[in-house]
Amino acid sequence: MYSFRRFDRSTFLLITLLVISFLLATFDVRAEGSGIGTTMREGAQTLFSPLQRAMSAATRPVVAFIDGISNIAGLRDENERLRAQVAELSAQIRDRAVLETKVADLEALNDLATPGELAAVSARIASPGSSDFDQIRWIEKGTSDGISVGDAVFDDRGLVGRIDFAFEGSARVLLLTDPSFGVGVRDTSTNETGIVEGQTTELSLKMFQAQDPVEEGDLLVTSGSRFPPGIPVGIVKKTATNEAGFALITTVEPLVEVSRLDYVKVIVGWSPLDAGAADEVPIGSAPGLPGFNP
Amino acid sequence: MRRRAIGLAIALVVSTVAIQTSVFGAGRIQPFGASPALVLLVVIGCARYLPADPALLIGFTAGLLLDLLGGSALGLWAMTYTVIAYLAWRARDRADDGPLVIAVGVFLLTVLGQSLFAVAGTLFGQRIISNPVVVKHMLLPAAYNVVLAALVLPLVTRLLGDRRRGWAL
Repeated sequence: MYSFRRFDRSTFLLITLLVISFLLATFDVRAEGSGIGTTMREGAQTLFSPLQRAMSAATRPVVAFIDGISNIAGLRDENERLRAQVAELSAQIRDRAVLETKVADLEALNDLATPGELAAVSARIASPGSSDFDQIRWIEKGTSDGISVGDAVFDDRGLVGRIDFAFEGSARVLLLTDPSFGVGVRDTSTNETGIVEGQTTELSLKMFQAQDPVEEGDLLVTSGSRFPPGIPVGIVKKTATNEAGFALITTVEPLVEVSRLDYVKVIVGWSPLDAGAADEVPIGSAPGLPGFNP
Repeated sequence: MRRRAIGLAIALVVSTVAIQTSVFGAGRIQPFGASPALVLLVVIGCARYLPADPALLIGFTAGLLLDLLGGSALGLWAMTYTVIAYLAWRARDRADDGPLVIAVGVFLLTVLGQSLFAVAGTLFGQRIISNPVVVKHMLLPAAYNVVLAALVLPLVTRLLGDRRRGWAL
């Protein structure tokens, strides 16, 4: 009899907690970044930030050692890939001087701002989230440094994501690989515009009115609709053409390596209105070109 | 004694959440692209010794902290860990306490926990199931947890359980 009563009570508590969880999830999804969930997240960040910093500092040598061991198998392949990349980049550097002059002339002519000239705040990654499913990073800077929700986040390779929660001393970055992330992009080869969306490990590109095909290897940069124009986003993985009546859809390799982020920069104080004639900007900010100087 | 055990369990969960969110994950310790579900392991350990109500509340709290510090909607990990705590608590009197049973139990509960979260997350619009590496994120943490159980569960036993059992599982 006692056992039955105990079972009954625990089952009741289980159901109560499940209902609370379900309601929390429902309200949090509907709140879309505001409400009690945001307050609770801020409280948890305030409580855990010092603990996380202390833990990271204490375990950094161990983490680096284990990371090195777990990656040792891939080092040879990576070495070969890097050698090939060095050869390719050497050729690009030779062409860069010519392009720098051209782009500087164009920028002077149009009086346009580029990401490298915008105000940006550097921040260290504080936490990679709480599970392998997460497509977020917490950074050690927040609203006190001028960061606000919606700001673009990038590193030396290109777009990392955007701020989706900002608190006084910390902020959460939604990675561009998250399925809920989307950004307007422009193909630097054809000047066609489209939308890139996260697909967890890669990105997908959709173009609805493209006249020209996108080719494998084409560089995509932000178009200026939401973030400053010209930030490199990714490289087209597969050539695709626009079939009549259908959108052009293909896959894109992100330029940033989201699993290896350590420091990022947040563009602060930029509004889509600042882009002015955003459609005229894109050329200046491709990797290796002078417009993008994180 | 009971209050002391609950207090220790809360402290243990908070410390483990701090470790999980700062030491494990992308760019930290993540062998083969997956990390152990250390908090889940501690919740299982606590559920083996605490009474039903505190065990469920510890599971709920641990999950809610992961929700707050992670990228999921609030309540998804809380829901998952509450179920895991309940199952671990229900199973503790029905199964032997041998290492093999515990290893199998930890593996199954971890896979179940990761799967429940993936399904709940997908229902709430996070498209986790469509993740091409979702199976890896279910199985590898379970395998890591089995290995870590040999260290973590004796620690929980030492803190919350029968002190005469020392460092036994």
